[in-house]
Amino acid sequence: MLQSYISEIGRSAKSYCEHTARTQPTLSDIVVTLVEMGFNVDTLPAYAKRSQRMVITAPPVTNQPVAPKALTAGQNRPHPPHIPSHFPEFPDPHTYIKTPTYREPVSDYQVLREKAASQRRDVERALTRFMAKTGETQSLFKDDVSTFPLIAARPFSIPYLTALLPSELEMQQMEETDSSEQDEQTDTENLPLHISTDDSGAEKENTSVLQQNPSLSGSRNGDENIIDNPYLRPVKKPKIRRKKSLS
Amino acid sequence: MPPTGLEPARMNRKKGDKGFESPRPYKLTHQVVCINNINFQRKSVVGFVELTIFPTVANLNRIKLNSKQCRIYRVRINDLEAAFIYNDPTLEVCHSESKQRNLNYFSNAYAAAVSAVDPDAGNGELCIKVPSELWKHVDELKVLKIHINFSLDQPKGGLHFVVPSVEGSMAERGAHVFSCGYQNSTRFWFPCVDSYSELCTWKLEFTVDAAMVAVSNGDLVETVYTHDMRKKTFHYMLTIPTAASNISLAIGPFEILVDPYMHEVTHFCLPQLLPLLKHTTSYLHEVFEFYEEILTCRYPYSCFKTVFVDEAYVEVAAYASMSIFSTNLLHSAMIIDETPLTRRCLAQSLAQQFFGCFISRMSWSDEWVLKGISGYIYGLWMKKTFGVNEYRHWIKEELDKIVAYELKTGGVLLHPIFGGGKEKDNPASHLHFSIKHPHTLSWEYYTMFQCKAHLVMRLIENRISMEFMLQVFNKLLSLASTASSQKFQSHMWSQMLVSTSGFLKSISNVSGKDIQPLIKQWVDQSGVVKFYGSFAFNRKRNVLELEIKQDYTSLGTQKYVGPLKVTVQELDGSFNHTLQIEENSLKHDIPCHSKSRRNKKKKIPLMNGEEVDMDLSAMDADSPLLWIRIDPDMSVLRKVEFEQADFMWQYQLRYERDVVAQQESILALEKFPTPASRLALTDILEQEQCFYRVRMAACFCLAKIANSMVSTWTGPPAMKSLFTRMFCCKTCPNIVKTNNFMSFQSYFLQKTMPVAMALLRDVHNLCPKEVLTFILDLIKYNDNRKNKFSDNYYRAEMIDALANSVTPAVSVNNEVRTLDNLNPDVRLILEEITRFLNMEKLLPSYRHTITVSCLRAIRVLQKNGHVPSDPTLFKSYAEYGHFVDIRIAALEAVVDYTKVDRSYEELQWLLNMIQDDPVPYVRHKILNMLTKNPPFTKNMESPLCTEALVDQLWKLMNSGTSHDWRLRCGAVDLYFTLFGLSRPSCLPLPELGLVLNLKEKKAVLNPTIIPEAIAGNPEAAVNPSSHAQLVGFQNPFSSSQDEEEIDMDTVHDSQAFISHHLNMLERPSTPGLSKYRPACARPVLMPQHSPAGDCPPAAKPPWGMELARKGAGKEQTPLEMSMHPVAAAPLAVFAKEPASSKHSDHHHHHHHEHKKKKKKHKHKHKHKHKHESKEKDKEPFTFSSPASGRSVRSPSLSD
Repeated sequence: MLQSYISEIGRSAKSYCEHTARTQPTLSDIVVTLVEMGFNVDTLPAYAKRSQRMVITAPPVTNQPVAPKALTAGQNRPHPPHIPSHFPEFPDPHTYIKTPTYREPVSDYQVLREKAASQRRDVERALTRFMAKTGETQSLFKDDVSTFPLIAARPFSIPYLTALLPSELEMQQMEETDSSEQDEQTDTENLPLHISTDDSGAEKENTSVLQQNPSLSGSRNGDENIIDNPYLRPVKKPKIRRKKSLS
Repeated sequence: MPPTGLEPARMNRKKGDKGFESPRPYKLTHQVVCINNINFQRKSVVGFVELTIFPTVANLNRIKLNSKQCRIYRVRINDLEAAFIYNDPTLEVCHSESKQRNLNYFSNAYAAAVSAVDPDAGNGELCIKVPSELWKHVDELKVLKIHINFSLDQPKGGLHFVVPSVEGSMAERGAHVFSCGYQNSTRFWFPCVDSYSELCTWKLEFTVDAAMVAVSNGDLVETVYTHDMRKKTFHYMLTIPTAASNISLAIGPFEILVDPYMHEVTHFCLPQLLPLLKHTTSYLHEVFEFYEEILTCRYPYSCFKTVFVDEAYVEVAAYASMSIFSTNLLHSAMIIDETPLTRRCLAQSLAQQFFGCFISRMSWSDEWVLKGISGYIYGLWMKKTFGVNEYRHWIKEELDKIVAYELKTGGVLLHPIFGGGKEKDNPASHLHFSIKHPHTLSWEYYTMFQCKAHLVMRLIENRISMEFMLQVFNKLLSLASTASSQKFQSHMWSQMLVSTSGFLKSISNVSGKDIQPLIKQWVDQSGVVKFYGSFAFNRKRNVLELEIKQDYTSLGTQKYVGPLKVTVQELDGSFNHTLQIEENSLKHDIPCHSKSRRNKKKKIPLMNGEEVDMDLSAMDADSPLLWIRIDPDMSVLRKVEFEQADFMWQYQLRYERDVVAQQESILALEKFPTPASRLALTDILEQEQCFYRVRMAACFCLAKIANSMVSTWTGPPAMKSLFTRMFCCKTCPNIVKTNNFMSFQSYFLQKTMPVAMALLRDVHNLCPKEVLTFILDLIKYNDNRKNKFSDNYYRAEMIDALANSVTPAVSVNNEVRTLDNLNPDVRLILEEITRFLNMEKLLPSYRHTITVSCLRAIRVLQKNGHVPSDPTLFKSYAEYGHFVDIRIAALEAVVDYTKVDRSYEELQWLLNMIQDDPVPYVRHKILNMLTKNPPFTKNMESPLCTEALVDQLWKLMNSGTSHDWRLRCGAVDLYFTLFGLSRPSCLPLPELGLVLNLKEKKAVLNPTIIPEAIAGNPEAAVNPSSHAQLVGFQNPFSSSQDEEEIDMDTVHDSQAFISHHLNMLERPSTPGLSKYRPACARPVLMPQHSPAGDCPPAAKPPWGMELARKGAGKEQTPLEMSMHPVAAAPLAVFAKEPASSKHSDHHHHHHHEHKKKKKKHKHKHKHKHKHESKEKDKEPFTFSSPASGRSVRSPSLSD
């Protein structure tokens, strides 16, 4: 009963305090509570000052078992200036600092090549076997279809595209080698952009021809910047006065 | 000597004008071609042509034009409706009922059929009658405008449609169409005078989908939208007079690239390939510059276009101001091997622009001049671009090819002259085809013809010097360009045609030299020279006694008389001697310049002035001769077999600087497997300065020598240590360096050496284990990551090397090949092949070179009994839709399988493909491969050789291939290879009906048989030349004219067609015409068409046409034709029921009233008859085929 009484006091006091938008109950809250519960508050100081009151001694202070300190490795890093100091400390360095480790590099060329070769071969074999397993296959031996599975030949609708265009891998490789050999960069890729320079180059080479063919030089010099090619001209609108555009 | 050049030129011009007499009675001046609808879905084309012609003779009453496949709706002349007949005897060369299966017969009939429509004989498939209202007009030689409306539906030749089966509009799908064909084949896609000698100006109009581009000849004047804006019309003008055969067209959603160096040059390619196009054509301007410079003549046309198309008929086709190439020539900068090949193709096509397109030829027999000149200047370009070594190597290669071909088949004649046109005068009687027309030539012959032509041009150059040669070309070109700018009225256009005589005259005018003997030897005569040489050194006289023999009796050889250069390398230097080869002198004494004095250490001077130290210990102490060469400059078309000691060959290999000499010595050293030869070859292999092709040849020779020396060979396998030294890592010799192909010479060597090494064999005739491991290691350690170039060709060659290492399986009592008894080495090989082939599916290589090599290797494994022989894999790769190189490789394997396993099923499969495959090149190639690797030959017993096969092939060449000359000639080649010239041995001997069959041009009555019997003879009835004389016309006012269609399918029934349209010719034909008609007038046979047996044939009164011609007079008498009433049946029956008419019977009746001809025939017949009676004697009453029933039914045999 006492317990429920005390807890009721606590609960109500908390409610009063919250009612007045506070978090910590004050003395007045408790007083109001007690009044509400029908307790005569005025008797309380007298009761407290009675002569034969019992004093309960504080429980003996037991030594708190010291939590074993986490194993620290190295000095914790101080906070950088943008982190407020009240934030927790950094964890131990080993949890976030990477220590580059070097295995003894394989410097033996032979082994390297060997490795690269066998790795590539394994990848290729695995890949092709997978493809063969998941798709249609052909076989060279009637009785055995799994030892040398050949991915079935599949006709293309436009066969020349795959045959002529370099694969993406090769393109990539070419870019790599090209960038490594800038001097080898040919003008073929950039031709349309450098027409004027090309022209002057062509002119120089042509001088011998040009001398014999003045008309030729005219046609070649004339349009340095504007290419006059009939295929680049805009398509004309049909003439209306004609009955048909043909004949 | 330019001043003198002009004077004779003028003289020549006048003569030239006289020199060219057009075989046609009119002159074409202008032609309009307008194609206003192209349907890719249906593969059809609709359009019209308009020809402007001037008659050159009065009373021209009919005009013959060429047209094949086209459906002609309407013909108008000067806006008047004109009657016309469409008759093409080449559709079916021999009548389908004929049981004749003799190739000789076919070839003659085919030649006759071709000449019956040959525009150069004044003939054509389409015969138009000039309306009578215009006769007066014609007599005044006034202009005629012939307007022809036509359409083409699913053309089988001439125009090739490529329509990929993917989603999207036609443009998105990359559908395109282009003209193609062999020689003059323009008639396949529009009516024209399909001759190289009829020049005119052109207006070309093509209306295509707005997303497409139409590329054609001449200048693009304008592009105009149609009214609905969904299509556009391309207007082209070609003002330079051009032959119809040089007109071309390509339509597709092409990407356009204007050449950055020359803006008047435009390149076209299919979608997505633009980067490749940029790279591929970036070189073209240099070729232009080269030709313009050496010819001192500007490129004749105002523009040039290159179009790269898929499924091309040939790799390179040159037409006026445009060339059509195969799209497979395109390549990126990473590809090494294809680059020179593509550049060659570009250069070749450009050379043909000058000679072939701009300058055309007068007649077929002048073709060699054009091919010769274009091939020759192309050679000059090669020399400049790839260097003298490459050029000389190429000349040697071409020379070897032509020599081998001529010795095999009996000669290539460059300038055939046909006197009288009789078979007896046939200059090429050793061949199984006629060389009278380009369309009857075997493709191989034609390639060799071109090869010989340019070699002969080179011989002429040797004779008159290159300077004069180029002057002659310049003269031809400048004459032509003057003429081309003239109006038609000036009659100058024939200056643009070259003839043999005109060309020779130019040469003699310019150079003042007489080259007649040279022309006589190499141009007017076929055959090559075969020399055998040997020598002895006479120490006393210090004289070299050289003996040179000739073989001029065997096939394809001729006797050579004249100068012959011999080069002798002595200790004191190199000396040239010119010997006179005469009739009976075999021995030639050549004084030597140096005494044999080998003690003095002195450098030895070579031909090129270089002085070298030689180790002379190997040579004969008494003789100062190091080596001898006969005809070192290849100035005779010859084969030389020369005997000299092995050490001489070795010296020649090491020290002679000419690559041809080096190659000859390599070939000779194969016969001397000694350590000294081995050393010489190895030294050459290591020599960086040596020409890479010589080094490659040395690899193979070394492999052969090593095999011959197998028991005494010491050290590692040949070339292995060399390869290791050159291409492997210093530290670990078994690992190849990462690829770096910057040096092309070592690249080629690196590719070749393993292939040659794989040919090594040990004492058990197996490939040494060491070599196989070596090659497998090369594959394993191949690393291309750092390479600027693709290694696809290199890897492909590694697979070839694996295939080369395969030796026949040891078969234990013929067990079935299974996986369990697979040889472990083969297992390794197979593993590699499987991996490569599968990787290709994921990462395809350029042109699928690796797949191609894998397929070949698998076939090798099959053939050697390691893997069960099975064609299914190859057949799946041969399907349409694979890249063409793969298909060809797979088909080659199937062809080989057919031969080895004698499989009837596969042969049928191949034959079906020949008929049905969408790609003309593949069809041609199958025939070619079957001919090269035939399942059986004529003297061989084979279960495949059956009557059904004979019939099938016969049908193929008779009618199945009429849309493609090249294919038909290919079929003829195959037939010849399988069965020979005479009747195939597997056929039953001729039945009675056949005995009566008279062979070509011998339609003379068998004395024992009464005339009516002949009437049943189907062959005589279809004798093609007779068609030429079947000239009849529709009545221009006949009722159903406008709706009339002449279906291609029915045309072979045209005899029937004609017979129903026969009207008497109101006018006698002109003398000019009859002159050009084939002299061999035969009985003209009117086939009677009896649809679906409406009345019993026997009961039918014979009707026929009697053609009376008085051969003696030039004037042709009017044709007298008596017709049975049946003939009046409406045309519609025949024109619109192709199917029924095709299968219905024909009965042929004829009366022969030509006395003069008869005599001739009789004479021939005697001979023929003898032959046939022989057959008859053997087995007189064979009676088997279903057709015999038919012949019995026919009225002719009823008695």
